[in-house]
Amino acid sequence: MTRRRRAERRRGLLLVAPALLALVALTVYPGIWVLWLSLQHRVPIFEVSRFAALDNYAFLAGDPRFWNAARTTGLFTVLSVALELVLGVGAALALHGQRRGRRLALALLLLAWAMPSVVAAKLFEWLYHPAAGLFNVLLAGRPLNWLGDPSLALPAVILADVWRTMPFVAILCYARLLSIPAELYEAAQVDGAGRLATLGRITLPLLGRILLLAALFRTLDALRAFDIMYVLTGGGPANTTETLTVYAYRSLFQMLQLGFGSAVSVVVFVLVMGVAWAYLRLLRGRTVAA
Amino acid sequence: MRRPVALFLLGLVLGGCAGDASERGAVTLVFKYARILGPADPLPGLLREFEAAHPRVRVKGESLPWTSDEQHQFYVINLEGRSPGFDLMMLDVIWAPEFARAGWLLDLTPHLVPGELAPHFPSTVEAATHDGRVWALPWTMNVGLLYYRADLLARHGLEPPASFEELVSQVRRIRSAERDPALEGYLWQGKQYEGLVVNVLEAFWASGTRLLAEDGTVFPEPARAAEALGFLRALIEAGVSPAWTTAADEELSRRAFGDGHAIFLRNWPYALDLFEAPGSAVRGRVGIAPLPGRAGGPRGAGSTGGAHLGVSRRSRHPALALALARFLTSERAQKAIALGAALSPTREALYHDADLVRRRPSLPVIHALARAGRPRPVTPYYLLLSATVQPEFSAALVGVKSPRRAIADARARLDHFLGAIR
Repeated sequence: MTRRRRAERRRGLLLVAPALLALVALTVYPGIWVLWLSLQHRVPIFEVSRFAALDNYAFLAGDPRFWNAARTTGLFTVLSVALELVLGVGAALALHGQRRGRRLALALLLLAWAMPSVVAAKLFEWLYHPAAGLFNVLLAGRPLNWLGDPSLALPAVILADVWRTMPFVAILCYARLLSIPAELYEAAQVDGAGRLATLGRITLPLLGRILLLAALFRTLDALRAFDIMYVLTGGGPANTTETLTVYAYRSLFQMLQLGFGSAVSVVVFVLVMGVAWAYLRLLRGRTVAA
Repeated sequence: MRRPVALFLLGLVLGGCAGDASERGAVTLVFKYARILGPADPLPGLLREFEAAHPRVRVKGESLPWTSDEQHQFYVINLEGRSPGFDLMMLDVIWAPEFARAGWLLDLTPHLVPGELAPHFPSTVEAATHDGRVWALPWTMNVGLLYYRADLLARHGLEPPASFEELVSQVRRIRSAERDPALEGYLWQGKQYEGLVVNVLEAFWASGTRLLAEDGTVFPEPARAAEALGFLRALIEAGVSPAWTTAADEELSRRAFGDGHAIFLRNWPYALDLFEAPGSAVRGRVGIAPLPGRAGGPRGAGSTGGAHLGVSRRSRHPALALALARFLTSERAQKAIALGAALSPTREALYHDADLVRRRPSLPVIHALARAGRPRPVTPYYLLLSATVQPEFSAALVGVKSPRRAIADARARLDHFLGAIR
């Protein structure tokens, strides 16, 4: 390495240092602190603070409430992300094929996405109202106990989440669709490809990367889902909608079990990191292939 | 010569910290409270009144987040983080022992005049007491009670039920005669949240058992507790209470009753003003009564609720903060609050005050109910207790677990967590 390059490198390091320091202060330090907390029995307001090694994790391993929350988180993530992707692509295709009112449709889609999730949850609380809610009015005479039935509550929460976040996927895909050159479609038409063939051979493959990206963002969000179930059901009935983050919140801020609650948070963190890593590998693989 | 200058400068700095530099030497008290709903929030007026009586004091009323959960979270973060950002705080009635044990509250015992708290309901004083010392002043009162449709009961020649068994038979009789498929029987709160714990506790008391014994045992009589829980579940299974009870909070059940869709409702006194408001579907047709007991068991009792005022131990002006707490809990202030909002006072004499009774004729009846009311377990671990039993009670209500199993599971979990603390 020449002297000049070394100097340049040093200057580069100096320039990224503030950003790096900020990252360390804002994420790495609290992260390590939470990890440290999770190894303790800590209920500070009652002056309980002692090292517990892996006790908290050992309790989690045999804790049915934890495993239930883990299962709920998994189900919620897989189902809501899958639905969001399918409906999002559908909405994007519909939008792309539409001639009139496209701006209006886009604005409406954005409206749902722009709504804070607590507001969306409140809206759905009304839609699910046992007597006056839209869903039960439509079901005339055979009302469902949307938020109070252990087998319906999670689907009801997923539906609310899909409604709010599907537009995110739709708009990303729509933007990608706009950038597909028209010649490709013209060529397909000349070659006599039907609509289905065009969709399967041109549109979807070209959407692939952006879909993977959308799935990554949505999955990471869904794994940490909190507000929608917190407002709609509070985790009930019978904890059927309690996700890991809701469990962590209850342990930390209601039960004031800082050590134990941190252990739950660490599990969420590891889960999110693992999934993010897997997605990034997939994305990288696709880039090389393309 | 030097010293006065330094002191002057220090005063400037402190004054600057407290807020307005133009009010040099003035003290700013920060009061954290939840905004009072209703046409006229009486608090700003009361705070100005306090300022008028204390010329060098400014009171800043800062509103808390909306729900009790979020308020608790706010306090935990700020108090544990040693923030001196507020002097006086509104506390949910279930928090005083926890906050006291955590060292966040000023011990008021040495400052109290003998007999000062005697005019308040004994149960509100009990809820503010931990380790034999008083940590907060009672501010507002709440009690669970039974609303009934007086018109429907009168039409069928019935008196308000004294026992739940009677309530069930009245529901059957009225519904079969009215032939209105939209008319529900008994509404209460079964969603997985604090309200569910309140409802289950009331069922425990009606069955003669408790959640927490004096010696700290949880579920001292598990079989009885399971029976009470099973009774609540049976109300839903038999259709006496609608299936959606398992998702019902206060407002959901209050609205259904207010629309005329139910015969009985368990709720707090605030609902009465809404039922009697102009345009209400049940105006003039609602009666209130004590919560029923169980046949052959003790009399029913409603759970008490409400708020206390506590002085932060980190307050730089504890004497002034206490003066403000005394003023806000005074007879004058509690009367103004009861006139302006649907909140009930903790001072018993006000329930027979002529002006108040003219405005809210139900007050004398509510007084008797509140007197018979019981506090939720008064313990620093109440929130831990509640957060642990909520999902178990909910599981029993929706039939995912048997009541016995739910009680056993709740006990095992509590033993683990309380063991770590004790």
